[in-house]
Amino acid sequence: MTPLLFEAQNAPLWKELEAALDRAENKRPPKQRDKTAAKAKLPPLDGARLAELYRRSCEHLALAQARAYPIHLTQQLESLTQRAHRLIYRRHDYGLARLKQLVLVDFPQSVRAHRWYLLAATLLFALPMLAVGWATWRDPGFILHLADAQQAQEFDAMYDESAGAFGRTRDASTDWQMFGFYVMHNIGIGFQCFAGGLFAGVGSVFFLVFNGVQIGGVAGYLTARGHGENFYSFVVTHGAFELTAIVLSGAAGLRLGYALLAPGRRTRLEALKHAAGDAITVVYGVIGMLVAAAAVEAFWSSARWLEPAVKYGAGAVCWALVLAYLGWQGRPAKGSGAPDAG
Amino acid sequence: MSLDTLYTAETPEGIALSLRPAGVVPRVLAYMVDLCVRLGIYLAVSMVAIPFGGMGKGLLLVSYFLLEWFYPVVFELTRAGATPGKRAFGLQVVMDSGLPVTPAASITRNLLRAADFFPFLYAFGLVSMLLRRDFKRLGDLAGGTLVVYRETVALHGELPAALATAPARALAPQEQAAIVAWAGRASRLTPARLDELAVLAGSITPDRQGDATRQLLGVAQWLVGHRGEGRR
Repeated sequence: MTPLLFEAQNAPLWKELEAALDRAENKRPPKQRDKTAAKAKLPPLDGARLAELYRRSCEHLALAQARAYPIHLTQQLESLTQRAHRLIYRRHDYGLARLKQLVLVDFPQSVRAHRWYLLAATLLFALPMLAVGWATWRDPGFILHLADAQQAQEFDAMYDESAGAFGRTRDASTDWQMFGFYVMHNIGIGFQCFAGGLFAGVGSVFFLVFNGVQIGGVAGYLTARGHGENFYSFVVTHGAFELTAIVLSGAAGLRLGYALLAPGRRTRLEALKHAAGDAITVVYGVIGMLVAAAAVEAFWSSARWLEPAVKYGAGAVCWALVLAYLGWQGRPAKGSGAPDAG
Repeated sequence: MSLDTLYTAETPEGIALSLRPAGVVPRVLAYMVDLCVRLGIYLAVSMVAIPFGGMGKGLLLVSYFLLEWFYPVVFELTRAGATPGKRAFGLQVVMDSGLPVTPAASITRNLLRAADFFPFLYAFGLVSMLLRRDFKRLGDLAGGTLVVYRETVALHGELPAALATAPARALAPQEQAAIVAWAGRASRLTPARLDELAVLAGSITPDRQGDATRQLLGVAQWLVGHRGEGRR
């Protein structure tokens, strides 16, 4: 068959596919723009027909390439099939239903699927925190290894009995401003913990240990200086979200790093892609938790008029809720085998 | 190994889609444009927000955060699949399967920007792009995405009209393809060059005298199926 005959025989099919694509992409061909009224009466786009046209065009493209038909013809078919491919394999399942599925099932399930990474991240975060916390509690001067004297004085000022609101120095401004600051700063730290995993996990380990050391140092110092109650009542509630989220993003980062170090039966690149696809679900949850943490930290934790006992109570409830959510939410209902949507 | 950097993605139907990955320079320029756009948005927000005091400053910080991390995500998930900067340079973010970018992949590639930026000014990202034929930065590697040119380049056009003539001898498939490809490039080559090439293929044309280009174009027309007076 000559290229000319091939084109003549199949051009109507390509035209039909092109028209269908134009319709699906909401693009009207210029010459039909004046016939909108006539167009409105057209039957709805037939998906099965579109798929058939697409498959036939793919066949034609393969034939044209194998038979070395003129390149302009092959290119025309290539761009046609490419458009159809993009349209047909596009995913549609985004939206609120997907979000609900993510919050109720996917995120907690994915957290549990990463339990060993989570354990490693928790240890990397908690052990330095406890060690440095103990060291600064024994000797408040140890804080000077982590911060200079001026910063240490600021820590004192933030949790002093006379402070306007906990967790900030006196000149700092309103709750809203602090909310913005916490969103920018804390979520940024979370993302860095995740992204650092790309360097064979070293970055995630660094950020986890670094943050553990910082937090432990401040906690130990303030306890030793007698601001313990102010400090712990401040951090207990949002800590439930924030510390968990930092550890979770660290775990997601470790997942990336581990995929590069021990790719298993995949190539390193494939392993990384696969791991990133899994880990990103955890990161979605981390974003949500850090926004919640920022809101709690700005509007609740810093309030002076609340009794510490109330804050401890609320904090305990939040910790219990977060841990229960991560531990049990989204497990399949007993006996049914289907994922529990509620 | 071919000279160009075309990236082929195979579809489930068994055909290969060619994607044209964009290199460092257009992407850096697109980034610069995006930086200006982001700066513009930030300034606009700050002009609105500053009078509101603390709440305004909060809004400003949140918008800084969103612009820093989610500005590209939002634009990549639109139909164009590109930030304004990328669109200005005709670029688009797609999955390396040739499909539109998915939210998960877009978020992955943009969060891992932090790793690309390390240790300063996108050093790791640049090194990664320069080392790879498909110019992926680290975020693209993990997300399975590719930055490509939106438009394909048409190097070959329709064959110019000529009186179809049968070749002087039977031609192998490769020879046939070469002649048709030569004719397809007629609009992009200078007449002199076209003629120079046609003279090289002189043994094919039935008539050695006269205009070599005309004659070879005739053969090309014959090969694609036109039959003038010269039937075999």
